[in-house]
Amino acid sequence: MDTVKLYLRSMKMQLKCQMQYPASFFLQTLAQFVMEAGELLAVILIVDRFESLNQWGAGDLYFFFGLMSVTFYLTECFGRGVTGAFPSMVRSGQVDTLLLRPRGVLTQVMCWAMDPRRFACIAVGTAALILGSRMAAVRWTVLKALALAEAIVLGGVMILGLFLIEGIFVIHSVKSVELVNGLTYGGRSACEYPIDVYPRPLRVLFTVAAPFALVLQVPAAYILGKPLYGWPGWTAFVCPLAGLVSFGTFYALFQRAMRFYRSTGS
Amino acid sequence: MKAYLSAFRMRWKMEVQYRGAVVGGVACQVLFGLILVALYRALYRGRPQSMPLSAITTYVWLQQAFFRMLLSSDPELMDKIRTGGIAYDLCRPLQLYGYYYVRIMAQKMVGSLLRAIPMLAFAALLPEGWGISLPASWPALAVSVCGVALGLLCVSALENISMGFTMRTLDFRGVMALMNLVMTTLSGNILPLTLFPDAWQKVITLLPYAQLLDTPIRLYTGEYALARAPGALAVQAAWTVLLILMGMLLWQRNQRRLIVQGG
Repeated sequence: MDTVKLYLRSMKMQLKCQMQYPASFFLQTLAQFVMEAGELLAVILIVDRFESLNQWGAGDLYFFFGLMSVTFYLTECFGRGVTGAFPSMVRSGQVDTLLLRPRGVLTQVMCWAMDPRRFACIAVGTAALILGSRMAAVRWTVLKALALAEAIVLGGVMILGLFLIEGIFVIHSVKSVELVNGLTYGGRSACEYPIDVYPRPLRVLFTVAAPFALVLQVPAAYILGKPLYGWPGWTAFVCPLAGLVSFGTFYALFQRAMRFYRSTGS
Repeated sequence: MKAYLSAFRMRWKMEVQYRGAVVGGVACQVLFGLILVALYRALYRGRPQSMPLSAITTYVWLQQAFFRMLLSSDPELMDKIRTGGIAYDLCRPLQLYGYYYVRIMAQKMVGSLLRAIPMLAFAALLPEGWGISLPASWPALAVSVCGVALGLLCVSALENISMGFTMRTLDFRGVMALMNLVMTTLSGNILPLTLFPDAWQKVITLLPYAQLLDTPIRLYTGEYALARAPGALAVQAAWTVLLILMGMLLWQRNQRRLIVQGG
């Protein structure tokens, strides 16, 4: 509980910091909005030209896009320390200070930064979710709402785990490697659309290595009433647990890597 | 002129040093290319379009290969503006605009060539309907190479304009990000411009963003027939000249009211 309180407190401070430059904050938030709106525009134009993607209609496609965007940017907003700041902290030797304090490294990194500009992206994602569920005529039930909440929370946990990969690489080689983020960002781009349209190697990659399909898409398909691969309803609640497994794996690797951490800088 | 050439050459040499980063970048871009191609293949299965699938996959690969041309800023200049280091550049017996123009151009050229060659080689090995297909004809290849060259001149001019705005506001992230984002959408990087609604084509292909990569790609695939090539190249050249003039004007006015930061 103490950790949670600490985290909330630092988030509040981070927010206050960001608001010190309102004009710059506004412009950057606007830029984020344009970026995500551009991505949504691509989906809209695809729907306009192709109307459907296999068995998935327009509403379904907006829903998948919205779920990915809300989950991904919530993670980037509240986990900015892991998704953005950590590699440069290793390179500049700042991680030393974290090791001196009586809290876990990951906790402190999580408290390190926040990115409120991402709310613009989350807003676009939410709009897509609502539009999608309207167009696909989803009948909401308590169970479906629970499935959505579980997907978003565990999706966030999984994405944090994926971003830890970069942290692990950085500890070992100091230099950040573009490739390791390919899995994370590639997964985001690919899984904005339902996974079953892709050929097998890509499906395996984003089901096993980076389980976007299990965590986000199985519940989404359940909510839309078109179960993925025809799997039964309970899978929508079990499959997202893969996100925890994925995070646990990368967390363990991260802890192991931290033992090899050597300070840089002076 | 000689001074600008050597500024270009120095930047070129510096960029070639970072070959290691290129390997990771290429692998990443290849993964993105494969995802996009797989998506368009699935879309085409449901509803084939008048444009052949191979034209779309070619479009995707060429966009991914030259991705670096669109998105790269010169962080050094940004730092110089914020820290006041720009004062040293003002002392050089060169025109500031031209100096940065050649630097940006060298950076974009090396960055994209180093990535484009291995990526296009990879894409050429993929089977029909997945990879890149041959150009419509030899002359089409020749004009599309001219198109890429003009596109490079054009995108460098565009980036110099956004740098000009940075000098005014000191905070580059907002303006730069906006420019970059409009760029990825309207240059056809997120979704091929050829898949935009037909009614929009007349307008979007005339915007400066379409001159960067979209026009050369359409020349390559034969979407623009050879007879239309001179017109397409003329539009590119016109935008390039216009953007350079606008940029020079902006930089000149900035220089008069420039406040050197730091101490």
